[in-house]
Amino acid sequence: MNSPDARAVNGTDASSARIAELFNEQRQNIIRHTDRLFSWLMIFQWVFAVGVTFWLSPRAWAGVNSQIHPHVWLAIFLGGIITSVPVLLARTQPGKPLTRHTVAVGQMLMGALLIHLTGGRIETHFHVFCSLAILAFYRDWRVLISASVVVCLDHLLRGTFLPQSVYGVLSASIWRSLEHAGWVAFEVAFLIVSIRKSLGEMHLMAERQAGLEAVNENIEHNVAERTAELAQERLLLRTLIDNLPDSIYTKDSTGRKTMANPADLKNLRCKTEAEAVGKSDFDFFPKEIAERFWGDDQKVIQGEPVLNREEHFLDEAGQKCWLLTSKLPLRDEDGKIVGLMGIGRDITERKEADARLEEAHKRLLEVSRQAGMSEVATSVLHNVGNVLNSVNVSSSLISEKIKNSKVPNIAKAVALMRAHESDLANFLTQDPKGRQLLEYLANLAAHLTQEQADVLQETGSLANKIMHIKEIVAMQQNCARTSGVPESLSSVDLVEDAVRMNITSMERHHVKVVREYAEVPPILVEKHKVLQILVNLISNAKYACNHSGREDKQITLRVANGAGRIKISVTDNGVGIPGENLTRIFNHGFTTKKNGHGFGLHSGALAANELGGKLLAFSEGPDRGAIFTLELPVQKPTTNL
Amino acid sequence: MCIYPLWLLAIGVGIFVMLDYQNTRGSVGAIPEHWPSGTQLTLDTNRDTLLLFAHPQCPCTRASVEELNQLLAHCDGRVAAHVLFFKPGNFPPDWTRSDLWRSAAAIAGVTVQDDVDGALARRFGAETSGQVLLYNQLGQLLFRGGITAGRGHAGDNAGESAIIALAAGQNPDSVQTPVYGCSLLSETCSRPEAVK
Repeated sequence: MNSPDARAVNGTDASSARIAELFNEQRQNIIRHTDRLFSWLMIFQWVFAVGVTFWLSPRAWAGVNSQIHPHVWLAIFLGGIITSVPVLLARTQPGKPLTRHTVAVGQMLMGALLIHLTGGRIETHFHVFCSLAILAFYRDWRVLISASVVVCLDHLLRGTFLPQSVYGVLSASIWRSLEHAGWVAFEVAFLIVSIRKSLGEMHLMAERQAGLEAVNENIEHNVAERTAELAQERLLLRTLIDNLPDSIYTKDSTGRKTMANPADLKNLRCKTEAEAVGKSDFDFFPKEIAERFWGDDQKVIQGEPVLNREEHFLDEAGQKCWLLTSKLPLRDEDGKIVGLMGIGRDITERKEADARLEEAHKRLLEVSRQAGMSEVATSVLHNVGNVLNSVNVSSSLISEKIKNSKVPNIAKAVALMRAHESDLANFLTQDPKGRQLLEYLANLAAHLTQEQADVLQETGSLANKIMHIKEIVAMQQNCARTSGVPESLSSVDLVEDAVRMNITSMERHHVKVVREYAEVPPILVEKHKVLQILVNLISNAKYACNHSGREDKQITLRVANGAGRIKISVTDNGVGIPGENLTRIFNHGFTTKKNGHGFGLHSGALAANELGGKLLAFSEGPDRGAIFTLELPVQKPTTNL
Repeated sequence: MCIYPLWLLAIGVGIFVMLDYQNTRGSVGAIPEHWPSGTQLTLDTNRDTLLLFAHPQCPCTRASVEELNQLLAHCDGRVAAHVLFFKPGNFPPDWTRSDLWRSAAAIAGVTVQDDVDGALARRFGAETSGQVLLYNQLGQLLFRGGITAGRGHAGDNAGESAIIALAAGQNPDSVQTPVYGCSLLSETCSRPEAVK
């Protein structure tokens, strides 16, 4: 197994190299730190040694005379020499191997000096073992070897040449030296084990740190990328904000601008953002408008957003400008509201367009109403035309009857009788012609009586038809006269009126009308609008039936209740409506009639809407008939129109 | 790099001086083989008598007192010990009452006394502080020398081992050891002298 050093050095990939770098850096820091520690420790030891000599052996005596003890000089000079070089190296060349080995040698020599200066006290020998332990701070087992070599050399040399000075005996065995060295080796062995373990832990820490650095580097890279992206996005956002036609701004909690885009600056009559930032609406708008804006701002600051608020102000030219404004609270990371952001869209043109559109809509409604009425009028005129045809027929019949009347035969009979005036009795009784004349006169009278009855009947029919025309015209006049005035009316009566306007045409085309009327309350409506719709629906139903080619043409009229609404439906079994047409059947101009205009159903739908109701169409498809339902509220609701 | 040889050389010289000083033996006078008569000291006839001559201010003798303490502990009362502190006659009594005096006096079974003007030292031929003499009950000299391995150096030493052996009735390897310490009487420290 490789040592941590080897593992660190032998790393082949970038991670291993970084681990080795971190490991060596940490180790070098420890060595430098230990160098500094020893530099101070050795100075302290030197001072201590001098102090000890002054305390224990300040003077050497000879009887009553004394002089400075040689120990003092030894402590000062030898201690100084021993201390000098290691301290110098530790200060000037920390971290170098030679420095720590010099320190180790010096430390052991200092131990020997201290042992000597303290009279060989066994306690001072602890200095050697303590020094070894402190030298282990280097986490370099070679340093311990250097120190041990010094100790062993001292014991071997003195044990050999001056055994008394080290072992207290005049002659010492080599084994005595080995025994002392053994104790040093004992400690050093465990210190080396500890050092290797410590180095292993350092390497592990270096691995972890390298791993953390790799993660951190990755995170920093991601952060940098993200920051760049954010900057790009911020630039993009700012570009968008600056180029949007909408005014976009932010304010702080006191209502002062913190950001404004060019569109907003234009509204504020500022040329640069710096002119606007830090100012409030009171600096830009009249007091009453600024107070209104400020009130909205305060609501937003309280957490109540303002959405799609239409606001107006006067521009430089004094023209009324409209803004569609939304304001939302701005929050910090803790969710606390710190300001607001606002988006204002210039809707002045839209408002003006709306006004123009509303005017056009009103005009269109009027035109549609007129168009609808025109449809009704067309229907009325159609029916009137039909009746007039009947009137014409009746008139022709009467004329034909009168033309073919037997009345001239009476004159012939009178002439014949005048020719036989003188013997009229004989002629009537004896002459064969006379006898036939009486019979002829009797038949003629009977014929003329019948003829009179027929003419009278046709005349009565003619009168009825003329009355019908009068009623239709009167109804139309009534519709036009009551236009725009809501009335409480019976739904059934309305339906029947509409039927009457179409009945001639339906009869002529043999369309059967079925009525299914439920009891419904009266409705408050404008009569002409309802009639406009119903006449149109019935007319269309008749048209659909007429073009279906079927014999059993039938229109079913229903009046029913439905959830507060009256439902009037016109159901026919005519040509039906294709599915694709159902969605556009109410569109303006859409028609399937040859001569249609596409106004009827469109104006009917509009009229239904004006009445607060709606007009619905349903058909299962071609040749499956159709159902048109007019839903009207019982009480006329308030409408925006 | 040239600093290293110089540094090691200087250290070597320093160590040499240090060892030289540590191992420089003190002078020894004419030591009587038999307990001299007419001394103020009384020979103990029941056990061996040990005499330690000491200079009260000599720091080197501190190691001798410590070794004496250990030695007597090993002898277990079989030795009567006297520590004689050199005292110049014209010096105040407290000159001898140093920490060395107090350390010696604190050892059980040790008699501590002044040796005024070194009269007893001269009588017993002691010239170096730390000189130890051991006489038996009959007044015969059993041991002479120091009980430290070097000057002021505590620890195992041949003198201490010899006295312990003698007190136990055994034969020691040596009955004479060098003395390391300050000069008791002369103006300068004792000069080297061959062991007699």
